[in-house]
Amino acid sequence: MKNFNEKYQGSITFVCRLILGGVLVVAGGIKALSPSESASAVAAYKILPTQLAHLLGYALPWLEIAIGLLLFVGLSVRFAALTGGIVMAIFICAIISVWARGILIDCGCFGGGGPIDPSKAAAVHRTYLIETLRDAGLVLTAIYLYFFPYGVFGVEKLVTEIKE
Amino acid sequence: MSKQAKSKAPSGGDNFTRWLVMGMVALVVITGVAFSMMSQSTKANASFTALKNYIMAAPVTATVDPAQGSGLVLNPGNKLQIDVWEDPQCPVCRSFEQANGGYIDDLVRTNKATVVFHVLSFLGDESVRTANAEFCAAEEGQYLDFHKAIYLVQPTLENSGFFSNANLIKIGDYIGLKSKAFTDCVNKASKFDIVKANYDSMPKYKVSGTPTVFINGKLWERKSSDFNLAEFRLAVEAG
Repeated sequence: MKNFNEKYQGSITFVCRLILGGVLVVAGGIKALSPSESASAVAAYKILPTQLAHLLGYALPWLEIAIGLLLFVGLSVRFAALTGGIVMAIFICAIISVWARGILIDCGCFGGGGPIDPSKAAAVHRTYLIETLRDAGLVLTAIYLYFFPYGVFGVEKLVTEIKE
Repeated sequence: MSKQAKSKAPSGGDNFTRWLVMGMVALVVITGVAFSMMSQSTKANASFTALKNYIMAAPVTATVDPAQGSGLVLNPGNKLQIDVWEDPQCPVCRSFEQANGGYIDDLVRTNKATVVFHVLSFLGDESVRTANAEFCAAEEGQYLDFHKAIYLVQPTLENSGFFSNANLIKIGDYIGLKSKAFTDCVNKASKFDIVKANYDSMPKYKVSGTPTVFINGKLWERKSSDFNLAEFRLAVEAG
């Protein structure tokens, strides 16, 4: 296992960067295009006071895009992975929180969001589980990137080499 | 691990790059937030154009009936009664109004039905404020038009600051509801007790969401996925 990681670490890092970065850029991009929906999606979790929730709803998509792009090109990967991992962990907590409180919403992870018809409760609960697992998987990629930030096709290496 | 640590040999330039990157991320986020907030408020304010050239119809007397959950009764005494439960900020109520609002107006104005509006306010402070303004408009006999106007301008985002007293008065002004009594009533929140009474009557009538419609006391359940007038009209005509 250790040998395997040593041998392929550069490629694994690259793949993790693409997965985490790709998800963040796509999710952020969709939400950035419809800010009011993003703001009301955050408010639907009923965790933060309305105004604060709206502010977060406006900010989150742009943070996701910025972090996602950093991961994509491979610049400040450790910092980006840490931030991305924290964001994902917060998403997990938020979903578990609405789940536990019996609130039925669309997570708004990829745009949209908001309350859902009570008749669809079973489907929503299944979605919560899938979303939690998906985000947990993304946290794993973030953790890996935190410990092994340098891989193939990273701009950072290039920058350092030029400097040296 | 060891390999990773080695290549991360700290140098002056490395630290600088890190701060530069963090600064850029912050810049992107701040610019993005400013841009998003601006576009949201522009969109909300642009919605007023929907009220340009709005022609208010003749006033209709509306009375608050404490015996019916303090609902607003229009055209009382008809043997057909429709009860409509709505929250001014609820987007699905907006869809309901867009499909059936005109028909309901006709039922009232042509004496085909008694319509009782229960104005709810469970979606936050701005619902309370807007519900208050709707009762103020009702006192001037202009509930139907004012409540239609509210749904015309309703923003996607709830509690975004759009339904302020100033904007509610402005909405009234656009449709021709300019009396001082209305303005004072909005500013002084004169109808808060009625707004609260409507909200408090929900459990008694087993209403837990909006829009909820009763036709002669019987809960109307739509079969189609969205609202359509033909379906609603059939249900009303069946009684």
